[in-house]
Amino acid sequence: MKILLALLALLTPVAAHAADGVSLVSEVFVEHTETTPEGRSVTTRAEPEMVVPGDNLVFVLSYRNDGAEPATDLVLTNPVPDSVAFSGTTDQSAVVSVDGGKTWGALNALTVVGTDGANRPAEAADVTHIRWVLDQPVPSGSAGELSFRGVVK
Amino acid sequence: MGQLALIAVAAAIPVSTAHAAGTPAGTDITNTATATYAGPDGSELSVDSNAVTMRVGELLDVSVSSADTGDVGALPGATNQVLKFTLTNGGNGPEAFALTVDANAGGDDFNPAVTSVILDTNGNGAYDAGVDTVYSAGANDPLLQPDTALTVFILSSIPAGATNAQRGQVDLLAAATTGIGAPGTSFAGKGEGGGDAVVGATGADSNDDGIYRVNAASVALTKAASVTDPFGGSGPVPGGVITYTLTATVSGSGTVNNVAVADPIPAGTTYRPGSLTLEGTTLTDSADADAGRFTGSAVQVGLGSVGAGTSRTITFQVEID
Repeated sequence: MKILLALLALLTPVAAHAADGVSLVSEVFVEHTETTPEGRSVTTRAEPEMVVPGDNLVFVLSYRNDGAEPATDLVLTNPVPDSVAFSGTTDQSAVVSVDGGKTWGALNALTVVGTDGANRPAEAADVTHIRWVLDQPVPSGSAGELSFRGVVK
Repeated sequence: MGQLALIAVAAAIPVSTAHAAGTPAGTDITNTATATYAGPDGSELSVDSNAVTMRVGELLDVSVSSADTGDVGALPGATNQVLKFTLTNGGNGPEAFALTVDANAGGDDFNPAVTSVILDTNGNGAYDAGVDTVYSAGANDPLLQPDTALTVFILSSIPAGATNAQRGQVDLLAAATTGIGAPGTSFAGKGEGGGDAVVGATGADSNDDGIYRVNAASVALTKAASVTDPFGGSGPVPGGVITYTLTATVSGSGTVNNVAVADPIPAGTTYRPGSLTLEGTTLTDSADADAGRFTGSAVQVGLGSVGAGTSRTITFQVEID
């Protein structure tokens, strides 16, 4: 059924752009958690062609600087797709937007206008975009990976 | 396709999204990210990632629930007794559901005889004979859009031998016609929009029971007589007055409607005008707005609807000729 591999790093993303600067690869995995007969919780990840509402998705962004010079001021932005509810990121350096990318901040610092017309604290599902602002230049030949989670609405 | 598994502790923030049916089946979800950075000459460069596209498959979910507020009262031998259910498509695609009834499961006192299953085609939530559609399995399995509901009626006959307070249940089962199974079971290419169909948390089938309860109220009438003779005794002599007390008692459960009591005046006696009472209140002898009258040969009292566990007392007097 499912092939067990040890490490995420065994996946080699295919670069989407020519090797003359920064390239960016997006991957999406669907997670299914099952409990083994021994009572262990096993989570499997697969690249889905099809998902159903309620599926847990993991979005992985891989960047690589193939240019000869360091890339500075690297900012990676991922709009949360329609039909996906953002459910968080373990990456503390991320900022999010709940207004279509106009303003940015930590989720707990943002508010949205509720159905009653009053401002309320933003929730994960309000997030429209997630962004990483790298404060260090990315040296030539260097790469990194960022991720966030969502649920199919 | 890359595929891997890991023993993981997934620490995601809980999501409070309330999606009932969810994204419609056949929708494509596409993800693209963008990177901006400063190039060697200081100019801003921008690069897009590849686009990842996933199609939303059809989730098969259904719920059936009894829409009656409690047991449905019925009389022994009654026909076309109506049970009401709500059928809801909890999936994200249009789906037809096959309906099955079972009136013979255990756990009850009698088996109702199901005569038909009716779809509330005019959507008013009430059974309309001759208007709503009779269900025929496989021929008109109801097709429901995502997140919509249909009322389904079951019509049954109650066995003549059923007795008071006995209960008979009928189970209505709805199953997605695309397929049922353990949650997660997949039907390749069977989903709306050409994707797969996947069984949701309900197993793509659902059932619930409706219950008939026999409300066999019965009326018992007792009659008592006391005599007062002209001499202060209780002998049945000419000139003596007999006071009759009629007591109608309803037992069982429910209500008996249109209870009417009639009692002929015994031969050899004469009705005493104005002596008719109901619950201690005098009733006029003429046929008018009050509940009683004297016909010339009998007293008649209409008691209307009398609930189980209650009684009504009627008195009248006759004089021995």
